[in-house]
Amino acid sequence: MTDQEILQLYRSGEREKAFRGLVSSYKERLYWHIRRMVLDHDDTDDCLQNTFVKVWQSLDRFRGDAQLYTWLYRIATNESLTFLSRQQTRGGSLTLEAADRLSTDTWFDGDQLQRSLYKAIAKLPPKQKAVFNLRYFEEMPYEKIAQVLETSEGALKASYHHAYEKVKSWMKEEIDARY
Amino acid sequence: MNEQQDILERARQAGQPFKTPEGYFDGLEDRLMARIAAEAQPETSRKVRIWAVLKPALTLAAMFALIFGMGYGVLSLTRTLGRGEVSTDVAGYATAEEEMIRPASLIDYYQSNLAEETELDEETIVNYLATELSFSDLAEIYAQSY
Repeated sequence: MTDQEILQLYRSGEREKAFRGLVSSYKERLYWHIRRMVLDHDDTDDCLQNTFVKVWQSLDRFRGDAQLYTWLYRIATNESLTFLSRQQTRGGSLTLEAADRLSTDTWFDGDQLQRSLYKAIAKLPPKQKAVFNLRYFEEMPYEKIAQVLETSEGALKASYHHAYEKVKSWMKEEIDARY
Repeated sequence: MNEQQDILERARQAGQPFKTPEGYFDGLEDRLMARIAAEAQPETSRKVRIWAVLKPALTLAAMFALIFGMGYGVLSLTRTLGRGEVSTDVAGYATAEEEMIRPASLIDYYQSNLAEETELDEETIVNYLATELSFSDLAEIYAQSY
């Protein structure tokens, strides 16, 4: 179901059918986006459900001047950032701890290089992590990332460049320390 | 592409390292609709429950407020009437006190009060003092007066 079909269905009064179509179209993409931000499956499930509940509550206010796709990514990213900031206020970064635990995580079967990558990403400040993930994993154009994060493209490019350099350097340090 | 970039590229090309529990995505729509329905339902019943709990408490509070208001009104009215009388008394008392304090000497006392009350003339008083009091008593009274 395309974004246009979902919105037409919703506006015709078939709210639940439209919502089910929307969830079906976006659940996997949003899940992986959130999962890369928070790492743990259960936390991802909470954030994803909160995202879709917020979508359900505010879909009638969606004006259509932004793409449904960027609007959904914005809600999912904000939900992830809220989760991460809540973790920080509780003292410490649980994402870093989760990255350390990846080797024993049942729902992670990556190799050493991938563990180093997620451990390095976990060290980034939350918003920079969102920029890095959207660009590096999803290969989202800067123009779209700017709409998702409501930031200028110039600032995003600089942020991504710094994040990329930091991740590279942290990964290299970890690998060098290991061998 | 340098060696460090290779690290990041190799990590990306290694594929998706995360997994989900089997069938996780299959029932997500149903789970979400169930959650939305569950969250919407208690909200209505919660409002009813809150009103059911608050209603007797609010009635009781309103009754207390009414009783307190009436009591306060009666008390303020009574206090206002009583305060008028008291203030007159106090004014009278103050005047009397001032009258008592005012005489600064024995002569003044005789002149202001005793003399007025008994209507004695000055000569009678002088004769009385000369006959009834000794010279030393008169000197002492005179010394205390100035």
